[in-house]
Amino acid sequence: MSLRYLLQRLGTLLLVLFGVSVLTFSIMPLVPGSPARVTLGVQATDASVAALEHQMGLDRPLPVQYWSWLSGIVLHGDFGTSLISGKPITEQVARRLPATLVLALAALLIGLLIALPSGIVSALKPGSARDLGVSVMSQIGVSIPDFWLGILLILVFAQALHWLPSNGYAPLSQGLGDYLKHIILPALTAGVISGSIMARFVRSAMLEVLGNDYVRTARAKGLGARRVIAKHVLRNAAITVVTIIGLQMATLLSSIVVVEIIFSWPGLGSMALNATLQRDYPVLQASVLLFATSFAVINLLTDLSYVLLDPSLEYA
Amino acid sequence: MKRLILILGLLATLAALSLGFAQKSGGTLIAAWAQDPVSLDPQITSAYSSFQVLENVLDTLVTLDQQDKIVPSLATSWDVSSDGLTWTFHLRHDVKFSNGRPMTAQDVVYTYDRMLDPKTGSGNAYLLAGVKKVTAPDDYTVQFQLGAPNVALLGHLAVNKSVGIIAKESVQDGSIKTQPIGTGPFMITDFEPGTKVVLKKNPYYWQKGLPYLNEVDIRIIKDESVRQTALLSGDIDWAISVPPQSLDQLKNASGVVVDKTTAGAYWYIGVNLKNPYLKDPKVREAINYAINRKDITAAMTFGTGDPTQDPIPSSSAWAFNYAPYSYDPAKAKQLLSEAGYPDGFRMQIMPTTQYPESVRGAQVIQQELAQVGIKVTIKNLEWAQWLQEEGKGNYDTYVCSWNGLVDPDDYFYAQQKTGEVFNFTGYSNPKVDQLLTEGRKTQGFDARKAIYKQVNKMVVDDAPYIYMYNPANINAYRSYVKGYAARPDQAVNFTKTWLDK
Repeated sequence: MSLRYLLQRLGTLLLVLFGVSVLTFSIMPLVPGSPARVTLGVQATDASVAALEHQMGLDRPLPVQYWSWLSGIVLHGDFGTSLISGKPITEQVARRLPATLVLALAALLIGLLIALPSGIVSALKPGSARDLGVSVMSQIGVSIPDFWLGILLILVFAQALHWLPSNGYAPLSQGLGDYLKHIILPALTAGVISGSIMARFVRSAMLEVLGNDYVRTARAKGLGARRVIAKHVLRNAAITVVTIIGLQMATLLSSIVVVEIIFSWPGLGSMALNATLQRDYPVLQASVLLFATSFAVINLLTDLSYVLLDPSLEYA
Repeated sequence: MKRLILILGLLATLAALSLGFAQKSGGTLIAAWAQDPVSLDPQITSAYSSFQVLENVLDTLVTLDQQDKIVPSLATSWDVSSDGLTWTFHLRHDVKFSNGRPMTAQDVVYTYDRMLDPKTGSGNAYLLAGVKKVTAPDDYTVQFQLGAPNVALLGHLAVNKSVGIIAKESVQDGSIKTQPIGTGPFMITDFEPGTKVVLKKNPYYWQKGLPYLNEVDIRIIKDESVRQTALLSGDIDWAISVPPQSLDQLKNASGVVVDKTTAGAYWYIGVNLKNPYLKDPKVREAINYAINRKDITAAMTFGTGDPTQDPIPSSSAWAFNYAPYSYDPAKAKQLLSEAGYPDGFRMQIMPTTQYPESVRGAQVIQQELAQVGIKVTIKNLEWAQWLQEEGKGNYDTYVCSWNGLVDPDDYFYAQQKTGEVFNFTGYSNPKVDQLLTEGRKTQGFDARKAIYKQVNKMVVDDAPYIYMYNPANINAYRSYVKGYAARPDQAVNFTKTWLDK
């Protein structure tokens, strides 16, 4: 993998982000509703709406608004301030990013712990009872809406059993135990659903590889089932599986938005949703950019990991 | 006999002791809000979620007690000149802001100057309508000069914390949207939009020994079933509202108190009087007969609200209980025929996802109006879009509420007077206008009540608003939360709240 390839990819990433920012900036004012009206609520007069829009700088031409926003980021690394709360956005992002990252990673981990064993187990004996069992379970997992699963988990583990807190986030400073207790339910909600989806992909990737000639050959030459699976099947299925994980991250991130709302989790997802509902343009803009960046980075990492998994692939 | 007196005396002493020393100081109350406070700048926001935070942070010159009576707060006394044009307030001398700076009359002048300045864009400035100038003759006296007499001014200076006194420091450094500085029992130390607000005890608070709590952690929990579970499992101590459909379950749960009182608020159908059908009074009368308020209230509040045909709840001293309509679809059909629409017509109703009860209400209204031939389409919008359409008059009918109303002037003036700030329906009745102006000039409860009785009747008869019900204000909390009571003005005040655990 050459440095040139990496630079090329980063260049594309910047172009994509630029495109995304122009697009969101030009779409947002078309959405009915304004942050001034949201701030004023039902007690809005035309005069007070106009005065607030002037304070917020929304009465300037769109290109001027775009330029002042862009130059703030490029020149000062500053995303501006929220129109509604007046809080600096960079500070908000710095506070909320770790919460979302931890939740996403914990959910991914849970998802993999579900998907890999069940996908492999069911692929090894297609049509068997356990394959059917896994299919049924994953079908249920795929069909359950995340908000419903979240509330169900709260009812069972918080209200009925009192094992885990029903909502909220505990910073690490309150102790590791408390921190982990608060993560479990939200991570489980997002993880179970994405794990169910991934299990089906793992199963079909495994089946595809299992049907290959070299697997039959390996078996024919007398290799034990364990070695065949470990050395030949898993390794070759890995590329597909990694691609799926990469793609699955997109679904995971969007279900994390919902999960953050249900569990009052102070992450970027709840920030993005609030900003959308309140027409807080700069916060929304920052969230869209962050999510776009994370998708692009995940894609890049997925591509790069192919080389590690299959040395025969080389990027020029 | 002697012994009896002795025992009684002992008992009395014990009771006094337990009353006097029962309140425990300290601790953190974890409170759950349902809506995000939208901006904490008191003069800009009109969101109740914001006022309910600010209730504990700001003080007003006068305030409301549990029964909505106006009582002294930062002002110890006040007087009105005989022509009703000059109001003088005498301030306490011992008040400091939470940053330690003494509060004087200059701060009151600053607060209201900012509110009246059009550049501020205050949606609450209407509360000071008629005020031409606010001055400070000395450090502890404030005078309001009015262009025309307005008896309602006193109520407006108490109605909610939008008229709270703020320190100019927080305006100058821009923190007014997140951390306004006031003289109240608590101060805001952290505000994370969409997630939490943290209130800490104000060390300079002027009411000695108060507040009892060291801290109030406000969490925003939007999902009502999660809020309920959090309360039942003890993750939170106090909830601003609980799902009305599970009130019975909560009442029977041990360790939980459900605190319910009728609110000074009403839910109504707003009617666009520019609509070709709806501008006909007969059509509006027909709608009044076609809807079944009992069913609508049941659907919207699960039976916790009181159906009504006029705005002021019967628990208020100003109640009129005027109810000319009945549920009578046949009569509604007849009225529609008289208006020239025997086969009905089509119209839209606009609820908002922000208030799920408005959607449930719209569905019942849709069915009931269908029975008299009015075909209703529901246009359910999210809040930001709803506000825009309502503000610009792009609707046939909408479902909404007015909250935190105390004086009869609050119930009618800004909503029903011709061209007033919140008259979104386009209603105009010169007789109502004249009476509303008179109501502001008239002193004395009986004289004013006679005036508003006429206003009430005319507005209900003309029906720019079709009143549906007065909601209840329902808070729920763990039984160890003491010294708190749900209030008709929906204010949430933790000044005297303490934790018995």
